[in-house]
Amino acid sequence: MINMQEMLLNVLYCLGQALVLLFVAPLVSGIVKKVKAILQNRVGSSIFQEYVDIFKWWRKPVILTPYTGIIFKVAPCIYFITTLVAAAMLPNFFNKQMGFGDVFVFVYIMALGRIFMAVSSMDAATAFGGMGGSREVYIAAFVEPVIMLSILSNVIHTGSTNLSGMSLRPDELNLTVAGVLTCVAFFLVLLAENSRIPVDNPDTHLELTMIHECMTLEYSGRLLAFIHWASQLKLLMFIILFSLLYLPLNIPVVAKVLLSTVAVGLVETLNNKMRLFKVRVYLAAAGVMLLLAIVAQ
Amino acid sequence: MIKVKPEHLRGAANICSANGRHPLAAMFGADETNIGGKLAIYCLFYNTDKRNMDIVKAEFEDEDKLSYPCLTAIFPAAVWYERELHDMFGFEPEGHPDLRPLVLHESFPRDFYPLRKRYAVNHKVRGQRDFNMCTAQGEGVFEVPVGPIHAGIIEPGHFRFSQAGEAMLQLDAKLFFTHRGIEKAVEGKTPMEALPIIERICGACSVANTLSFCQAVEKLSSVEVPRRAWLIRTLALELERLYNHVGDTGNVCAGVGFSPMISQGARAKEYLQQLNEELTGNRFLRGLIVPGGVTMDVDDKLMELIAEELKRVKDIYSSMVKIMWDAGNFLNRIQTTGIIRKQTAEDLAMVGVGGRASGLTRDSRKDMGFGLYDELDFKVISKTNGDVEARIQVRIEEVEQSMDIIRQVLYLLRQDKTELRVDLGELKGLEGAWGISESPRGDNLQWLILNAEGKIERLFVRSASYPNWPALPIAVQGDIIPDFPLINKSFELCYACIDR
Repeated sequence: MINMQEMLLNVLYCLGQALVLLFVAPLVSGIVKKVKAILQNRVGSSIFQEYVDIFKWWRKPVILTPYTGIIFKVAPCIYFITTLVAAAMLPNFFNKQMGFGDVFVFVYIMALGRIFMAVSSMDAATAFGGMGGSREVYIAAFVEPVIMLSILSNVIHTGSTNLSGMSLRPDELNLTVAGVLTCVAFFLVLLAENSRIPVDNPDTHLELTMIHECMTLEYSGRLLAFIHWASQLKLLMFIILFSLLYLPLNIPVVAKVLLSTVAVGLVETLNNKMRLFKVRVYLAAAGVMLLLAIVAQ
Repeated sequence: MIKVKPEHLRGAANICSANGRHPLAAMFGADETNIGGKLAIYCLFYNTDKRNMDIVKAEFEDEDKLSYPCLTAIFPAAVWYERELHDMFGFEPEGHPDLRPLVLHESFPRDFYPLRKRYAVNHKVRGQRDFNMCTAQGEGVFEVPVGPIHAGIIEPGHFRFSQAGEAMLQLDAKLFFTHRGIEKAVEGKTPMEALPIIERICGACSVANTLSFCQAVEKLSSVEVPRRAWLIRTLALELERLYNHVGDTGNVCAGVGFSPMISQGARAKEYLQQLNEELTGNRFLRGLIVPGGVTMDVDDKLMELIAEELKRVKDIYSSMVKIMWDAGNFLNRIQTTGIIRKQTAEDLAMVGVGGRASGLTRDSRKDMGFGLYDELDFKVISKTNGDVEARIQVRIEEVEQSMDIIRQVLYLLRQDKTELRVDLGELKGLEGAWGISESPRGDNLQWLILNAEGKIERLFVRSASYPNWPALPIAVQGDIIPDFPLINKSFELCYACIDR
């Protein structure tokens, strides 16, 4: 067909974008950590430390407990691949016209990865893994409808369910009440979805309070590298989505991404972890904001 | 001291406690066969009216007949003491509700009683005994084992949670993993030889432990410790409280991931510990307090330095406290979390911050009036809520108060020209003496008997964490497991203090 060549090119564009994001992601997490360190009067590690960590885990052998099954080994790979595919679906920065990323596909591809992680957390049969898995699913159950609402709000505004079509055009800032509400609500979801304070604490060593980290406690070596790398990519993707779709500022996208990254670090420093069962109130607040935004439109 | 037969121990203890008005301070055993005595149990009760300890002693005629009616039935506070007596001496408290091993874990043989004199200090054993954890059972109830090796840099302790979902039904702690046998190791040493060991029982309350020991030694001599020595001792004790409370306030915030507070707390604590080093050459103020006085003077230059550092720490600390009380999110976490009711605190004879946050007004500085505390102007800080917030509040107010006490002490030091240290001379043998001092976590109590040659025959060490540990499993009930680190940190219980 006529589009054969174009399709191939499109696939290459998408792959290229996913790979670029993959290799930028550790830097973004490094910047968040650095911002937190500076705000806490610490020197902190280099912003490139995350690359070193991934490299370190990559070279280390994987240690498996004898009780694990196949799920335990494949789950990090699935988590990694689904996140990578989702990254390919973000609005393409090589080719603005490309329209491949449907938001519903995007959200549920990410959910697939999460389900595998939650299932694998119980595979090693440790008390912490099960705790982490159950908390992750508990939070996911509240996060998912809120994400769908935030998308719906944007769909009403832009008239498209395609991620590229939904991107805000710089000349047309959504500075309405609805736009601002959606922006705030999506930022709350971003923190919850990426296991950040006030929902989860990515830096804690207190295993009893962990959510996401609890599920990864039994992992080592390359499998751990996959999980961490995918989580970093996920954070970057959400920051990009936030910048492209919701942040009503008339500045270049890279500046928006950097600004949002610093904002994550800032919010994480200013807050502390909330009570586990209050997370639903927190997400309900985001949901109510989005409902108001939809009504306002 | 009242001496009774074992079967009358409970009755005598009940009288001494004035029907529960005087809490149980400590309960311990002693093997006095080498100094012409027998196996004995001592019970100490705080008598705040007389500012003294009421002591009951039960002597056991026959080493094979060590049973007596348990005290736990009327004083819940005796539960750990009696389990320890059972482990270390083989006493049999009749009717004790929970006689599982406490100190000796499953790798010790049965019928091995390390604190009896017939076991040498280097006696090696290997064996097998049961060590069961206390757990809840039921449909959907599961156990979460945590430790003894933890992710953070803390000492070993195994916690077994019985969970129904996120809710903690029951908690049992297995501690004493690194029990060092210090009480046994110091036997046969002179007090001066034992002193460096006593100083190292615990890092956090090194001054308090040393001061309790020195007071016990000084009671066995007829010499009065000079006033200047007491002023410097008071200064050290308050500096210790200060650096601990400041650090602990920051550490509680680690339980909820409130990281700026952790950093600020650590920073302020570091300034104080550097000040400690300037004063004594040791960050834990070791090497300062000795029986008969102190080894180092505080001159005008050091006094200025102290005043300066206190001002700096006060600035950091007050801004930190302001941020904490302004953070609604933080207050939401600490309010109503980990409640100890006043009745529970009374039953367990809790001490220190843990007790005072639950409405108790016990502070050995006021109750026992050791040293120069009667001359100083301060009041006992007490809160009634008994939750994590109350424990933080008590710490914060005690920090202010300690700074105030230090200012008073510095003022008195400038006018005082007495000596630093006196020679204690001959110490009385075969006579027991207790010493008490208020550590950051509560009162540290010690009991000392020397033999005829002036060597230690028995030293009993009860640090503040010992009576407060059993409160932790009660505080967590009704809370969810992610709140445990927060509750645990708010008590700031010490492992080294019980692993003595």
